Amino acid sequence: MTPRVLIVEPHEDIRTLLELSMRRLGFEPVAPGDCGPGDADAVVLEPSWAHGRTILRRLGDDVPPVVCLSIYPREAGYAPPESVAYLIKPASLGQLGDALRDACGR
Amino acid sequence: MPASLRSRLLVLAGRPYAVTVLALVGLAATIGSMVALDGAATLGAVAFSPWVGLIGFDAGAWAGMFTAAGSIGLWLLAGSHEGMHTTGAQVTVRIGYLALLGAGTAVAGRRLRASERALGSVAALQSALIDSTLDGISLTDRDGNILISNAPLRRLSLELGLPPVGTVPERLLAIAPRISDQDRYRRRMIELAQSSSESTSDEFELAGTGRVFRGFTAPVVDPSGGFAGRIWTLREVTADRELDRMRDAFVATVSHELRTPLTSISGFLEMMQDEEERLGETGRTYLDVIRRSTERLHHLVEDLLLIAQIEAQRVELDNATLDLAELAQRSVETARPAAAEKGVELEIVSDHPPEVRGDRHRLTQVLDNLVSNAVKFTGGGGRVTVSIGRNGDSASLVVADTGIGIPADEQGKIFSRFFRASTATAQAIPGTGLGLAISRALVEQHGGTITLESSAGEGTRVTVTLPAQPPESA
Repeated sequence: MTPRVLIVEPHEDIRTLLELSMRRLGFEPVAPGDCGPGDADAVVLEPSWAHGRTILRRLGDDVPPVVCLSIYPREAGYAPPESVAYLIKPASLGQLGDALRDACGR
Repeated sequence: MPASLRSRLLVLAGRPYAVTVLALVGLAATIGSMVALDGAATLGAVAFSPWVGLIGFDAGAWAGMFTAAGSIGLWLLAGSHEGMHTTGAQVTVRIGYLALLGAGTAVAGRRLRASERALGSVAALQSALIDSTLDGISLTDRDGNILISNAPLRRLSLELGLPPVGTVPERLLAIAPRISDQDRYRRRMIELAQSSSESTSDEFELAGTGRVFRGFTAPVVDPSGGFAGRIWTLREVTADRELDRMRDAFVATVSHELRTPLTSISGFLEMMQDEEERLGETGRTYLDVIRRSTERLHHLVEDLLLIAQIEAQRVELDNATLDLAELAQRSVETARPAAAEKGVELEIVSDHPPEVRGDRHRLTQVLDNLVSNAVKFTGGGGRVTVSIGRNGDSASLVVADTGIGIPADEQGKIFSRFFRASTATAQAIPGTGLGLAISRALVEQHGGTITLESSAGEGTRVTVTLPAQPPESA
């Protein structure tokens, strides 16, 4: 089954890019509106986006592994406890794919 | 002499014509003595000369000459009482002598007073000058006692709550509990109190106020070259630091925000590269331009963020034992394609450099900056030589090129951020002016030094030294 990745990103251009990238990398992108608790295997999150963290909380207690893709370094302190990888924008498709495969245990 | 009597006498001495009054008393006492002791002939008219001299000096030439004539008259009167005989010539000579004394001392007195007024005027100007500066300034003696201080310093001392007595280091030390980094501040003050040769500049912040002050001190030497005391200057730099903070915050914010469009450009570019074959030759040329520009933009953003981190002292080093020759070799190989494309000869000379302790990523950044700069600023047919070796207890790295060089009057600013040499801008050679600023900050963070020698049109030589890894810990 294709792993589902919830994309939590404030900028539309980057959301579009991530959706295309997910498909190319063999993942199924999921928008926040279509995702409830247990619907995603991993999350790509811009952690500095306050509303994004709210979306993450809506997933309930069992939040899937989070890959942070941020404009700020990790030291900025935005990463949520569930994050398993932290990439700085702009990350390459390869880096994103590796992080997501690790997050999904593939 | 009791202090009160002494101070009263000093007040009297400062009044106008006090010397004249004293001299008149002396004159009367002399006449009195002559009459009482029948001593006009014995003492002679010369006994009046001190009083004539003093009156001339204090009250002017006419007063001096009048006193001379009067003294001779009184002398003759006292002499006639005891039967003294004098000729007209003798009287004339004595009058002339005393009149000359009175006039001469008057000239001397006038000159002295003129000189005193001139000195006073210069002192007043100097005082006005140092009072008009922004900096608080004081001069202390060898023991740190204040000899001179200006108005801004007295105002700043009140604002800082410095105690009114004590040596300058003692006064500064007294406010240590109110300074943000009080341990470092205390240590510096103690070091300064003990040092006669150190010249230093430090900043400190008043805790809880946000007010930042910059102090400077340097030894003052006497004409023979000995330690005479210290000059201390103090300036509030709160506004400057606030501007720095705003500028750094702005640069950091803009740089972070640039990552968002950069992510879109890089990401879609990466996707287009996968379909490069379908673009045709023209499309591929366009794609190359976009790729190069994106890389440049990416480097610019990274450099801006790094300089902001450096300014905020947030760069942490992940230190390990490093082989500088290997790092240099890698940087040379990275720069080789660009050098080959330009026809620049690029060589590396390694002469047993010692191992160093440092952050591989950060030192690679330094080396890449220096080597790529050298290639960038050297024209076709030129040469870039990277030499690594040992210099005493340090590892040394020299990057020398035969490029466009840097004019002598610009070399002092070349390590300042955003500064670009006129030789580079004149030829529109791209760059941000951040590479050398970053390199210097990173080298210094490793405990090393970086220096530059250059001659416009002939080339540049950048020398980096890094402390060698001590053998026992290697």
